[in-house]
Amino acid sequence: MTAILVFEQLLNGLQFGVMLFLMAAGLTLVFGIMNLVNLAHGSLYMVGAYAAVAAINWTGSWLAGVALGLAATLAIGMLTEVLALRALYERDHLDQVLATFGLILFFNEAVAILFGRTALYMTLPAWLQGHVEIIPGSIYPVYRAAVIALGLIVAVALWYVVARTRLGMLIRAGASNRAMIAALGVNIRLLYTIVFGFGAALAGLAGLMAGPIYAVQPGMGDSILIQVFVVIVIGGIGSVRGALVGAILVGVVDTLGRAFLKPLLGQVISAPAAEAAGPALASMLIYLLMAVVLAVRPAGLFPGK
Amino acid sequence: MLEVSDLRKSFGALRASDGISLEIREGETHAIIGPNGAGKTTFIAQLAGNLRPDSGAIRFAGEDVTRMPTHQRARRGLARSFQITSVFLDFTALRNVALAVQAHERRVGFWRDARKDPALNERARQCLRDVGLDGRFDVPAVNLSHGEHRQLEMAMALATRPRLLLLDEPMAGMGADESQRMIGLLSRLKGSHTIVLVEHDMDAVFRLADRISVLVYGRLIATDTPERIRANEEVRRAYLGEDL
Amino acid sequence: MKKELVFWFVCAALLAVLPPVMSAIGQPYYIDLVRRIMILAIAAVSLNLILGYGGLVSFGHAAYLGVGAYAVGILAFYGVTAGWLQFAVAIAASAVVAAAIGSISIRTSGIYFIMITLAFTQMLYYLGISLDVFGGDDGMRLRTRSQFPLIDLGDPVASYYVALAFMLIAVFVVFRIVNSRFGMALRASKSNEARARAVGISPYPYRLAAFVIAGAWCGLAGALYANHTNYITPGFMSWQQSGELMFMVILGGMASTAGPVLGSFALLLLEEVLKGWTEHWQVILGPLLVLSVILFRRGLAGVFYKPDA
Repeated sequence: MTAILVFEQLLNGLQFGVMLFLMAAGLTLVFGIMNLVNLAHGSLYMVGAYAAVAAINWTGSWLAGVALGLAATLAIGMLTEVLALRALYERDHLDQVLATFGLILFFNEAVAILFGRTALYMTLPAWLQGHVEIIPGSIYPVYRAAVIALGLIVAVALWYVVARTRLGMLIRAGASNRAMIAALGVNIRLLYTIVFGFGAALAGLAGLMAGPIYAVQPGMGDSILIQVFVVIVIGGIGSVRGALVGAILVGVVDTLGRAFLKPLLGQVISAPAAEAAGPALASMLIYLLMAVVLAVRPAGLFPGK
Repeated sequence: MLEVSDLRKSFGALRASDGISLEIREGETHAIIGPNGAGKTTFIAQLAGNLRPDSGAIRFAGEDVTRMPTHQRARRGLARSFQITSVFLDFTALRNVALAVQAHERRVGFWRDARKDPALNERARQCLRDVGLDGRFDVPAVNLSHGEHRQLEMAMALATRPRLLLLDEPMAGMGADESQRMIGLLSRLKGSHTIVLVEHDMDAVFRLADRISVLVYGRLIATDTPERIRANEEVRRAYLGEDL
Repeated sequence: MKKELVFWFVCAALLAVLPPVMSAIGQPYYIDLVRRIMILAIAAVSLNLILGYGGLVSFGHAAYLGVGAYAVGILAFYGVTAGWLQFAVAIAASAVVAAAIGSISIRTSGIYFIMITLAFTQMLYYLGISLDVFGGDDGMRLRTRSQFPLIDLGDPVASYYVALAFMLIAVFVVFRIVNSRFGMALRASKSNEARARAVGISPYPYRLAAFVIAGAWCGLAGALYANHTNYITPGFMSWQQSGELMFMVILGGMASTAGPVLGSFALLLLEEVLKGWTEHWQVILGPLLVLSVILFRRGLAGVFYKPDA
């Protein structure tokens, strides 16, 4: 367990965290502004991955495929908003949870019908393959480094939009007082659709970025969705800053836990016990983290609303 | 009975409660009046435990309740009614009051049917009769008129055997008849209960109150008997020539 | 009240004659199907206590189905097959887990509560997956069925009647609880929380107690379920299972005694029909569920009789 190994796992944690952030930012904005619990957010992640794979195969070009895939996800997201989610804005959270749960069943099966149940893999173009030396002695996959870089760029861009632009001002105002911005004559419908589109695009981006790293299969959005929930609960619902902090925290804790908990435990207790307990504990780590954060700060680290 | 010492509460730059000190004597009916925006609702909320003061203290029957949660104040005899009627709409009038009765008893049952519990029902019916809701026992609360909701709230407050009644605009939204009925009810309760009354209806205030406190911009500018308050220059100015 | 009693009598009678009828016409499959529905109905009845009457949107109720099932499975794995002991451990373990999860979750409300209950259940799910000794992802077979004197849970008809009995008992127990003083305070807290506090009721202890009771009953359902499926997987604790349980409660009509039972039959029979049509039944069920939420509010129980106040 060398320093180099720890560094690499930290980078992996950062990469995972960045993907969690892309998902969490969209979800927390949608919740903060539209008061909508959207379980189908994970499905948009999945749609992003599948759309990209399909588009890449169809066009033969990675870049074109990615762009097309992203556009397709945006379109599907908006269509879902118009058809199903619009009816839910005024309903209580229970109804939203149940309805979007139904959407998940639909999307998972639809994708299985179109692409089958076996996992697909996304191939990378040559310029994203291989390794790069970040610090002397440590080589790191180019693709993962690119994911981190892109994620951070998006985080900065998102911060800029929310903090510095007119749209961001409307978003922040809407998060704290929905009725007020409607009274000011802002087209609420349009604002909601834009915000939802944002969220869908971010989820789709996370999905297609996940393609080469994780398997593209039906249901891939479900487990990450729950981890995104943990991020949002830790960060504070409605807060993009909280989403970033929470995402990095969760990403790093989860990755380091899975990598090092078993060997660490093995130093303290017997090897077979560590063999069994290590992975079990590692998978529970982020939930325990959530419980601890909640005990101290019941509304998350940066309570937005 | 109730001692408020230098109560302060600010919302940003707005000083909703700006050093309020007040003493409510046992058995008196004490009205709190003031122009809109004076901070009356904020004051009541702090007395009831819905809002934490920034500083200052509240003592109820000798006990410091400043940081005590609402339900514990209720169990110690501090009952309140809400400015915007708040009852259990899913239940009948009888059930509403029975719940209030139940809350003040030690026994919690998991098995016996509370709907048929004579101890709860008898006392609930009595409270409903006391406020004039005789015969409306089994009406679902959602079907009661606005005035009847107010009466129901009073019944619930009485059911808890309160030592102090905190009434937030009990006349609000009432027609002439209903107002007279409510004033009648409150007159019957005078003396046997300590009442703190926040009201705009000056007719009610001057008929019921033993003493009146005037709240303006978060500060108490006068506390006195009704006649002296009527004559008070500062109070008249605060109401900008309104008919007192 | 009369109408309700008639309804339950008819229900119980119909369910009681099902096995002999199905055996007579040579369709024993339906005995298994209805047994499964009744066991899951117990879980739905327990969820209705906290969701329908308590207003707690717990998206993690399947956790206790899993805890109960694994309690039976793990004990059987180590050779402890006495039914009373297994079931007692299943119920106790579920109660303890519910107390732990509830004590943290119930301090929150709204969207936080939903997400947190979901997250904790997912944690248990991952725990189940990572325990290779008990089958991990694949789950494990139940070594031997729970052994009870006089009753052989391996006999399809006997276990059917056991499930029926427990379902009726569960319905009755929840009925008594929600009309007791405890239940009234719980329902009042859901109806108007500020008002409840104002009369002196603190919602937290009532909600936590209800949460634990619901968890314990669901653990019992889990123990029965393990004996029914003869195979225990982490999937019992999946959030899809939690969602299914919630739909069973909602479709039938929340805050009514018959609701969860009606909803269980409705949803699970619908799934059965759809599964017969296509392996991709979820692509049809999904939109149906979405539509049911958007269009309907009162549920099936409202059709039969008015839910009691």
